[in-house]
Amino acid sequence: MHPGPLAASDLASYLPVGLILLMAVGFAAANIFLSRIIGPSRPGGVVKGQTYESGMNPVGTARKRFNVRFYLIAMVFLVFDVEIVFLYPWAATFPNLSPGTDEGLVWLGRIFFFLFTTVVAYLYGFRKGVFKFD
Amino acid sequence: MSDALTLAQQGWPAAFPAVTLAHYLFVSAAMFTVGLIGFLTRRNLIIMFLCTELMFQAAGIALVAFGRYHLDFSGQTFVIFILTVAAAEAAMALALVVLLFRKRETLSADEWTEMKG
Amino acid sequence: MIDRIEFLWPEIALFVTTCVVMVLGLSRRIESRRMTALVTGLGLIIAGVLAARTTPIPGPRSGQVLLPELIPYAKVLIASVGSLLLLLQAGTVDRAEEAAIAAGQRPYDPLRTNRAEYYAFFLFSLTGLMLCASADDLIWLFLALELTSLPTYIMVAMSTGRARSREAGVKYFFLGALGAAVFLYGFALIYGGTGSTNLNAIHAHLAAHGLNLTALAGFILAFLGLCFKIAAVPMHFYAADVYQGAAPQVSAFLAFVPKAAGFISILLLTATIGWSYAADAQGPLYTPITQSAYDALEGAVSMGLPEPIRVFLWVIAALTMTVGNVLAILQKSVKRILAYSSIAHSGYMLVAVLAGPNNGTFSQSGLAAVLFYLLVYGVGNLGAFAVLACLEGRPDADGEPAEIEDVDDIRGLWKTRPLLAWVMTLSCLGLMGLPPLLGFFGKLPLFTSGLAAGEIVLVVILGLNSAVAAYYYLRLIKASLIDPPSDADLPATPTPFATRTLAGVLSAAGVVVLAFVGGGLMDRSERAARYTSMMAVAPPPPPRKTPYVPGDDTPFPLPIPIGAR
Repeated sequence: MHPGPLAASDLASYLPVGLILLMAVGFAAANIFLSRIIGPSRPGGVVKGQTYESGMNPVGTARKRFNVRFYLIAMVFLVFDVEIVFLYPWAATFPNLSPGTDEGLVWLGRIFFFLFTTVVAYLYGFRKGVFKFD
Repeated sequence: MSDALTLAQQGWPAAFPAVTLAHYLFVSAAMFTVGLIGFLTRRNLIIMFLCTELMFQAAGIALVAFGRYHLDFSGQTFVIFILTVAAAEAAMALALVVLLFRKRETLSADEWTEMKG
Repeated sequence: MIDRIEFLWPEIALFVTTCVVMVLGLSRRIESRRMTALVTGLGLIIAGVLAARTTPIPGPRSGQVLLPELIPYAKVLIASVGSLLLLLQAGTVDRAEEAAIAAGQRPYDPLRTNRAEYYAFFLFSLTGLMLCASADDLIWLFLALELTSLPTYIMVAMSTGRARSREAGVKYFFLGALGAAVFLYGFALIYGGTGSTNLNAIHAHLAAHGLNLTALAGFILAFLGLCFKIAAVPMHFYAADVYQGAAPQVSAFLAFVPKAAGFISILLLTATIGWSYAADAQGPLYTPITQSAYDALEGAVSMGLPEPIRVFLWVIAALTMTVGNVLAILQKSVKRILAYSSIAHSGYMLVAVLAGPNNGTFSQSGLAAVLFYLLVYGVGNLGAFAVLACLEGRPDADGEPAEIEDVDDIRGLWKTRPLLAWVMTLSCLGLMGLPPLLGFFGKLPLFTSGLAAGEIVLVVILGLNSAVAAYYYLRLIKASLIDPPSDADLPATPTPFATRTLAGVLSAAGVVVLAFVGGGLMDRSERAARYTSMMAVAPPPPPRKTPYVPGDDTPFPLPIPIGAR
């Protein structure tokens, strides 16, 4: 069954990967090069040379204090983010359960309990005022 | 269930036939050691935290390799839980470090020596 | 699968309480916020009652079968000590903020208060501790240990407003993460060496095939990482700083909860290895090892833990006792003395872990000794820390109440606060192990079990250390009960939290009363320590699937397609 050690000719199977890499690098390089030669070059004023930051004026130091809500939102995101990871194995196991028994119901109940814990986290964030922007 | 077969079972060549369990364990042990040494020698809190994460993921690599070796899914399951705990720890580490940074404006562990004895 | 729920009801009760507390503690109405601690206590009591009613069904599907009676005992113990700890936590967080709100200086802002989080963390940690006791799987054990520790890091950091607490929290967190990584790697190696994460299956595998080097390294690393939780020697550095930096009521929490989690996990892991092997149980070691390493493993055939693990734990126990006691003598701060003494107590308990179950009677079983000593130590330590928590001084400029620092600060306590002086005295005498008190009945089985297991040298070290420990405990007693009050203004303002005093009085009463009515408790702990090895009863484990042969050109056995089962 197993074909044995990798022969030199089998390296050909890595050819598509190499091609994609080549295309990616080439595309990026070509874009930079093309914009250099066909793009108009008009040195502008002060504003044009500024760093672009979401349309806002980049003033002040980056080390100023952020509202703690940014941090809390990130935490709430993390909860959902990690939770999703557990749904995949659950979903992959679900079809394999023995049909005709109530095993599936139990598994459904378990995942609902798990989701309930996330709802609690959400509720806590809500009471804490994470989603209030004023 | 032919679509569930692995590439190797369908006759594809294994990518790295000479790679054995020992190789994975070596990578994992090396990561763990690098993390441990980094933790003990570096004084920047963020770097120290990254080192503990490195040690966690080293355990993850060992678990996946062992899981494959034993033909058992427990190792992979373990890794998912490790990721969760690592995420929780990251959240806490950042919160604690920010809390300290606001007081002292430095991230060096040597600056916090109020208690000695 | 479903029957596992039956012994998880206490945890579920605690978890539901946590959810309620998280939301209730953020209520706009002060009356509702005040209810938070009450609801927490109610949840703990319900969990304790549920735990007392648990009757574990023996069987591999309903949890670990090695220590089947451990679950109800450990959980009732956790709920009881947890309730005492809860009484002590009154007024830890939000005191200045609530005062400002009551005075109408600022409106209620949920982002500025910490009450909900604090009690939720408290409950989460206790839930994790209970889950440790019911663990039957390495994954489960890992998650339970992390659930126990993660909240405590934040509790330390938020316990006071001082920079010292934050420093302590960060220190505790980083070393805790290191410890977690070490025992996690140990768990990974145990899995690698035995092919399963289930404790029963690991035990069966070890019984049939012996301990291979991978699993041995795994167990050693796991114990090393757990040394952090119990503050044993290679990982003890944090204890003094963290206990000193945290508020005393949180130090009391740290001295019991992570330590209990560590010891329960160590008991589970040692039970998995087993204290005895039949002479013919040693199967072929499938890991190619050198002859000298194989010779080192020969000890696994005899009674007791396998020789490398026995030596490892022996050294840790001896060092932990000695280092803890010697450093405790050198300290001036009361909290640091108690911290180092708690390190020493871990060493005492490790002696009993080493001794193993022997014939299973209370005087000989080291497991019963550990489980009983956890109670003795928890109650005694709580009393000592409760005195410190009650002795808060006037708030300083930052609004932080002054704390007891040096031993001199508690001089003459009998004149200003006689009740607290007696609580301190009884707790210290209890921790010292003076005959009529609870500590004596806790310590005695540590000695007898060690002797029964033949660990004479270790028992002698234990005896010497107990004598050394008497010095600093008597120093605390002398300061509070005999010395005249110092010239420095004693923090004579009574704490506004009667429950803290109540906690201290209850634990001091426990030290006395439980010593006289403790017979039932001893029976319980003896039952909880009943050790069922599967060496005799377990069916032989299934043969390993497609063992790996070095040099075979199939690097890993092919995986089973998911749908093919």
